[in-house]
Amino acid sequence: MGDVYTIPFVNLSLIRPFIMRSLLGMMLLGIGLPARLYGQVNVSGKAGLLYIPSAELTEDGTFSIGYTYNPPDYAFRFNKKNSESICFVNLVLLPRLEVNLNLLMPNGPIGFSGRGIGDRQVDLKYVVLTEGKIRPSVAVILSAPFGIDNSLITNALVATRHVVLSKSVTAVITAGMGSPYSIYRASVKNDRNEDIFSGYSLRDKRKLPYHYLSGPFGGVKLTVVQTGGLMVEWDSQHLNVGAYARLFKRWTIQAGLLNGDQLTVGTSYAVPLLRTPKRTGTKS
Amino acid sequence: MKRGGERMRRAIQYGWWALLGLYGLLAMPHESDAQPRNGLQPFENLSVDSAQHRVSYEQRLYRNPMTGLLKLAALLEKQGINEFVPLVQGIPIASYRLDNTLTTTRLSRQERRAWANAHPFSGRAYKFDIRLQPEFIAQFGYRERTVESKTNLLVQSQLYVSRGLVLNWGVLVPLINHLDNQALNVRLAPTFLNQFLALGGSDFLSLSAGLFYNDQYGINGQYRHADLNGNWSYGLEASLTGFYYYPENGFYHRAMKTVMVLADVAYRFPRQDVTLKASGGQFLFNDQGVRFDLIRQLGNVEVGFYATKTGNGGTGGFSFAIPIPPGRIVQTPHVRVRSSEEFRWEYAYSRGYNIGTRYRLGYQLDALLRQYHHSYLQNQYR
Repeated sequence: MGDVYTIPFVNLSLIRPFIMRSLLGMMLLGIGLPARLYGQVNVSGKAGLLYIPSAELTEDGTFSIGYTYNPPDYAFRFNKKNSESICFVNLVLLPRLEVNLNLLMPNGPIGFSGRGIGDRQVDLKYVVLTEGKIRPSVAVILSAPFGIDNSLITNALVATRHVVLSKSVTAVITAGMGSPYSIYRASVKNDRNEDIFSGYSLRDKRKLPYHYLSGPFGGVKLTVVQTGGLMVEWDSQHLNVGAYARLFKRWTIQAGLLNGDQLTVGTSYAVPLLRTPKRTGTKS
Repeated sequence: MKRGGERMRRAIQYGWWALLGLYGLLAMPHESDAQPRNGLQPFENLSVDSAQHRVSYEQRLYRNPMTGLLKLAALLEKQGINEFVPLVQGIPIASYRLDNTLTTTRLSRQERRAWANAHPFSGRAYKFDIRLQPEFIAQFGYRERTVESKTNLLVQSQLYVSRGLVLNWGVLVPLINHLDNQALNVRLAPTFLNQFLALGGSDFLSLSAGLFYNDQYGINGQYRHADLNGNWSYGLEASLTGFYYYPENGFYHRAMKTVMVLADVAYRFPRQDVTLKASGGQFLFNDQGVRFDLIRQLGNVEVGFYATKTGNGGTGGFSFAIPIPPGRIVQTPHVRVRSSEEFRWEYAYSRGYNIGTRYRLGYQLDALLRQYHHSYLQNQYR
């Protein structure tokens, strides 16, 4: 009698390996290795790990919004003084092109002259090569030079490869190089400059007390059935570890330990904008 | 005590906006999917021609015309209707046929005339439609107050006067003002007449007169040549305006002597619904220059990035247009209360220099016609 209730479960357990095998086969064959739908993002809202970006291709039309807390000893602009809040939005504007807007603000009291809306930054990411059977995806990320006090400047070339380890575990391996040089409006004051197409200068970020992403970087993210994962990365200066969880498909929360020392936390929410209205039966 | 009350009021206002923002985010790509009790209620001025399997209709509820078109197609499927003529202010835009793919047909001058003869204008074909439209004007970055905003709620309606002619009117309820010294007095929302005209298959006109947004009143004319099957389009806009505002008692205005003349040419990449637009001329404040836009239509949402260089300086920024949930709030055959089908906002990197500024009207002709372009609708009909 009791068996009646277990039949659906038995059936399911017979079907599941078949589905999994088919999916796995498709992935290994590289058949339309799909653009990731909603994923975990880095400190400035780009697909990536904790600090470092990856070359992953996100599905066209995906919009995401989020927040990162950056601890004081690893604060980019207010280093050792204030912790920082980074708010970001990211949009896959074209199938391979992403636009990322981020705003970096200090937490807690700061001097009058340091006040403002925060450091506004625009980054573009273009996926030059998509992931193939063997080759990794390759992306170029460039920060728009219009910024004035940009601390998260990302001028980088990065490659990413997915390796399926088991039915439920995939390793996402990323390696890249961040340029220490950047062109931006370093010596411009916003309230005394009416032209964002002027005042450019070439700077070496290594001259700053603390800086983001210059030199080789890399990391591994282990994703577990797309609902969570573990991350280890070298951000060009420190070794960071972290974990993330994806809730209700679209919401990601994450936390990491920077240099074995201070904690960073973040969250993001993704919305697919390219969802078509409900179809009718009109189309025969 | 007074300060405490003010703080409480501000907290409530911010809380309300935060809630609205959160709700908007959660519901952003949707445009009120639930079927009303009478499925045809979202549609106005509906006229079914069974012999020609054609329906003409107007809908103001959904920002995305495809949402309305597909809903109507589902409702009229049993009647064998497969040709749809959406109207804007009582004027047909084009004819859309749903088969395996979507076919968009321009309506010639003769066809428009024949349609108009067969469908005499009646203002009674439209609901008394009340729209809740938030307005958010902001300036960022001053050290004393990093976000200076002026947030209002506009309770608006449209009175259909004759074919193509609509009186836009409403009441403005101010919620927050940290931007300037205007008092929080309830006042008339932008109120103006707009005449929409289709000259032929691909030529459209929009003429407006009255009190516009951004404290400008006057007259505005827009012409656009836009083949809804083609990739190129161009347009011209000219206006003569002046400054106005409502002090706590009465009405203040300056002479109408600001001239704005803008011409543009746009190219559309139909596969991705991307429009590249170059425009130039004289903006407000005698500021002459050029502007480049990259606009993408993404389902119910539109996102744009731009750069502009004028005599006053150079800047860039982004813009977006999103529908505001929940859409329909109350709807009967004759009356409707709804949230706005569109909230449009533009951000400029620089502040205070009046670089390439303009005022807003009810709709811009190029943005309206873009929504009816064949590729935008076809890309959603897969």
